[in-house]
This record gives sequence, C-alpha cells and structure tokens, in this order.
Amino acid sequence: MPVFALIWKEWKLLLRDWHALLLLFAMPAVFILVMSLALQDSFSLRQGVSIHYYLVDEDHSRLSAALVKRLDALDDFKAQSPDTTVEELIDRVRHDQVQFLVRIPAGFGKSIDGEKPVPVQMLAGPDVEPAVYKLFEAALRDVLVRVYLQETAAPLQSQMPGTDGMGNMSGNLDAADKLLNAQSLYQMNGENRRPSSVQQNVPAWLLFAMFFIAIPLSTTWVQERQQGTYARLRSMGLGSGTLLLGKLLPYLTINLLQVVLMLAVGVFVVPWFGGGSLTLGHAPLVLCLMAMAASFASVSYALLIANLVSTSEQATIFTGVCNLLMAAVGGIMVPVFLMPPVMQTLSHYSPMGWGLQGFLDVFLRQSEFREVAPQAAYLFGFGLACLAAAVLLLGKRKRK
Amino acid sequence: MGWVEHDGTWGVIEVEDLSFRYPGAEREAIRGLSMRVRRGSLFGLLGPNGSGKTTLISILTGLLPADSGRACIDSRILPAQTREVQALSALVPQDYAFYAHLSVMENLRFFAGVLGIQAVETRGRLDEALAVTGLESFTAVRAAHLSGGLKRRLNLAIGLLGRPQLVFLDEPTVGIDTQSRHFILEAIKRVNANGVTVVYTSHYMEEVEMLCDEIGVLDDGRLLACGTLQHLLNGAAGHTLRVVFSETPSAQQRAALDIVAGLDFHDKELRLKNCSESDLNRLMGSFADQRMGIARMQYGYGNLEELFLHLTGRQLRD
Repeated sequence: MPVFALIWKEWKLLLRDWHALLLLFAMPAVFILVMSLALQDSFSLRQGVSIHYYLVDEDHSRLSAALVKRLDALDDFKAQSPDTTVEELIDRVRHDQVQFLVRIPAGFGKSIDGEKPVPVQMLAGPDVEPAVYKLFEAALRDVLVRVYLQETAAPLQSQMPGTDGMGNMSGNLDAADKLLNAQSLYQMNGENRRPSSVQQNVPAWLLFAMFFIAIPLSTTWVQERQQGTYARLRSMGLGSGTLLLGKLLPYLTINLLQVVLMLAVGVFVVPWFGGGSLTLGHAPLVLCLMAMAASFASVSYALLIANLVSTSEQATIFTGVCNLLMAAVGGIMVPVFLMPPVMQTLSHYSPMGWGLQGFLDVFLRQSEFREVAPQAAYLFGFGLACLAAAVLLLGKRKRK
Repeated sequence: MGWVEHDGTWGVIEVEDLSFRYPGAEREAIRGLSMRVRRGSLFGLLGPNGSGKTTLISILTGLLPADSGRACIDSRILPAQTREVQALSALVPQDYAFYAHLSVMENLRFFAGVLGIQAVETRGRLDEALAVTGLESFTAVRAAHLSGGLKRRLNLAIGLLGRPQLVFLDEPTVGIDTQSRHFILEAIKRVNANGVTVVYTSHYMEEVEMLCDEIGVLDDGRLLACGTLQHLLNGAAGHTLRVVFSETPSAQQRAALDIVAGLDFHDKELRLKNCSESDLNRLMGSFADQRMGIARMQYGYGNLEELFLHLTGRQLRD
C-alpha cells in the first residue's frame, strides 16, 4: 500500500529532523515546565509570597502600629523593612527592585477621624501589572478600613453595655471574615481545591505546540513540490487523496504523541521540579476525544497552509504569525476573562480557544462527553473545512 | 487509434494538435503540437529553456491535462487513461526528486513501496536499478551527501524501479561533471538497448546529437522539426561550407567569388550555408583562378545549433 510507504517516509524524515523534534516536543515541554513553575505562586498563593513592598512608618502612633501589625499578617504580601531614606526606597520601587512602597505619614493617627485626614501613600513600580496593582490596593484598603472602623467605632463600643472597648470591636471585625466562605469549584480527590498552574498551562502550551506541527509539515510539503518529488509521486499514480492521507496520518500520530508526552510532563516532570502535578480528570475517553479533535484540526490546518504557501520561508512566517494570533485570541497567553468584550467575542472563533476550553473542561470541571461535545465538534468542523480547502488548492496547483 | 509507423508498428507516443496554457499566462506553453515517437527509440526533445519541453512531458505523464488536441501513450488516451499510462511509463524529473535525508537504499525502498512492488520482487528490482546506475557501493549513504553526479544517478535509478516501457528523462545531466554525464548517457543507452523507449529532453545539442536516434526541435511551444539527425540536418539546414584561406582575400578576389550568393566573409574565413554541390564546384574553380591558398576547408552537414538558428533565427542558448 503506497500510503504505508508514505507514512514510513514521514516518520523517518521527522526522526532525522532535529529542528522539528525540538519544535514539536522539547519546546512545549520546556514551556510547560517554565510557565507552570513561574506562575505557580499566582495560581497557588499559599505556596509562597511573591509580592514585596516597603513599609515606612513615619507616624509611630498606636494606629500606625495597628496598621503595620495587620499588614504584616497578610499572607500574600511581604513587607520589607526600610534600610535607607524614603527617596532611595522610592527609587528602588521605580526600578522594580520591590513592587510597592506604603508610607504612613506623620499625623496619620491623629487625623484619622478629623476633617482633613493625612492619607497613607501607596506607590507602585512601573512594571506592576494592573491586576497585581488592584490586588494590593484592595488588600491595603481592607486593612485601612478595619483600622479606621476600629478607631472611629471604639467610642460607641465603650458606651454600649457588655463591651470591653477596642479588643471586642476588633473581635467583631474579624468575625466578619466568617461571613464569607470563598472556595474554588475545582475538585481534586473529592475536595474543593484551587487549581495549580500546571492544570492551566499544560493544555494551553500543548495546544500551542500541536498547531506548530504546521511548520514541519508545510515545509516538507513545499520542498517536495519544489524538488519535483511531488510531481514524481503523482506520475507514479498517487492521487491527491493518497498524498493528503500520507501526510495526515503520520502527523496525526505525531500530534497524539505530543499529547501523551506533554501530559506526562505535567504529571511527572513538573512535580519533580517542585511544581504541582497535573490531574487528568475522570473521563479518559473524553480526553481522547478532545486530543483527536485538536489533532485533526491542527494537521488539517497544517495541510491548508502547506497548499497555500509557495516557499518554506512563507510557511514558517505564516504559521508563526497565525499561531501566535490564534493563541493570543484563544486565551493561551492571556486568560479570556481579562480581555475586553470584543476580544472575548473573538476568542469564540479561535480553534486554540475551542481546544483550550475543551481540555480545561476535562481537567478542571470533570466534564463528560455532552459538555465537551461542542468544542470537539467545532474542532472537527474546522479541520474538515481546512481539509476541503487544502484539496481545492491542491487541485488548482496541479495546473501550475 | 494511433498512427502506424513506417515499419508497421504503432508509435508509442502519438500527439496531435496539442495545446496547453497555464492559468493566467498570456501565451500557450504548447501550441498545436503534433509528433510521434517510435517504440524503442531514443527520442531527443531539444529546445531552449522555456520552450515547453517540461510542459509537454508533464502532459504526456498525466500530470497536466491538455486544453485541446489528442495525446496517446501506447494507444492509451490521456487524460482518460492516466492510470494505465503512469503504470507503463516513468518520469525522471529535472530536479533531484527524492529525499535528501534518506539513504540511497531507503529512497529506493520508499519509491518501490509507492509503486506497489511486491515484497518478494523488491530486492530484485532494487539490485537491478542499482546495477544500471552503478550505485551499489552507495546504498547506505544519505542522498544529501552524494555528489551531483551520484544524485543524478539516484534520480535515474528511481525512475527505473517500475521497469517502465517508456521513460521520460527531463534534462538528466544538468549541472554535473563530464565523467558523471558520460556515465549517465551510457546508462541511458543501456536502458534503451533493453527495448525501453526513452524521451530525453535537453538543451545540450551535443548530447542529443550523440545519444538520440530521433530528434524533435521545440521552441515557443511548437515543434519546429522532427526526425532523425541526418534527416533534420540534410533536409532542413542543408550543407555548410567553411573555408579558411592562408591570406585574407583582397577586394578583387572577393568580387570574383560573387558568382555564388550568400557568402559570409570574416577576415580569412568564408562561410556559406545551404551550399549545394554545384555552388561548391563553382567556388573551387574560382579559388583556383584567383590563386587563393586554402589553409583549411570543411564541407558537410551543419549541426543542431545551426539547425536551430536556421529554424528560429536565434541561438539555442539565447
């Protein structure tokens, strides 16, 4: 069967192409490892503190001491003692050595319930992301509100029967925390847990790598066309269908091998480096379906590009740009919920977005077939459309 | 059905009024071309780059469908019977149409697989192709590491795997050294000697003159002439006279030679195309009368270069 010869040839060529192997296997594995470890704290704040700030108390009052104490109690932010002048500290923040500076000016305590209160100053470094800025600001505001309430409500408390002043008020304020029970809907081993970065990063970078299969596939196809091998194969009686199948089947298996290896990186390698471990959900068949759908979409897309471009350089540039756009729009690089509404709408049309949504459904939401079926259908539909376009272009090229 | 050859056999290639235009092109790449190639012949298709040689081969191997006209290979009509035509013919493209990262043997095995050669037969076919092209000691070498000449041989070897009755060789000696060219030309002769019809395209007239028993001259998509070398040079270009005198002829001597039209003087040299025997006799008489010493003289058929110039008014390599 000629198609077996074609499959054997593709495998042989790919195994001898170190650049392609690095692109398809090493690059995503490194991406998954690095991104999972780098974003570990963002996804799991209990594991360490990554946001640092200088805390300068120029007031030295009872209230500023209370503020410092409460700020110190925050798990997610680490205060650093000032070891130089305020100007020097501000300069360090400006150069991103530390993210924030919180300055409690002299007179803060005395003026807190006056008409012109002296505000606490919060300065952020230029590189601080808006989300982190908002997070820190909210934490600081929360602490300030507690201190303010503690101070302004204390006189009322002392007049109320059965209270013993500030301590009791403090106890009441902390009791407010019990009014909120926050937890993630992600479940692991029957418990609600916050998902680790590896749960998000593995599917994202896996999909990114799967779509990069277009580079080795299209460049070999272009070379075959330019070197006359393609014409020779056709002169030997191979039709368009056999030629396409001869590309589709081996690259589908390569794509699926990528899936297995990248999942293995998430399950075994990332924990070995101190990161979280990927949990694969409880629906292996649904996971297989998503892997097949994403694989079919990416290889068909690769075949379309291969028939669209004329040179290897075009194939590389075109694939690179298209993949980056699909990744950016599809939520691979930036979570979709952080995007403006127009971009969120656009993300519904990115194949990488469909794939990511489907994999996250399996990994994070323990979804069953019915829930991921739309994403899988979109991917198969996209793949079929690409394949049809590739067949059309291949037919046109026969006359060139 | 096909035309009957003078020896009673059908022409293995029969083409009648064939035309083809690439999409978007202003002019037709093949224009009303008719020709036939005798079974078992070594047919040279001579023409400059862009003359339509590769396009014609692409049509005859079923890679391109002609816009109009008729093309038959061994009585199979193209493009309706493309599969049958491809089963009995082989194309050796101008480029190195194999995989640089596979070894010689891996390439041959792969193409044998594509041709659907049975496993029990494969070994024999590979050995045969390797023997004809002299690649036996290079089987383990990756194609990328072969010299230009060896790559050409591998290109040819792949074309022979299917034991074709008809082989199209598209410029098989481009860019290789004289020794490799000689080896390939000898290999082609051996293939042809085994009864395989060979269509050999080239813009190297010396190769075509030396190798082919029949020649078609192609230019601008049209077949300008077709036949044996003798027939072409005799019928189309006639005889050429070339004389180098021992001294540059004087004006008086030149005037005395005006008894024949079309003389072309260059310093000591005289040239005359389409020189008939009577012209030759009259000129010889005048040389003697004028006491013109002759250092060197050549009289006979021209070559393909001159034929091409005669037919098109252009040099073959313009």
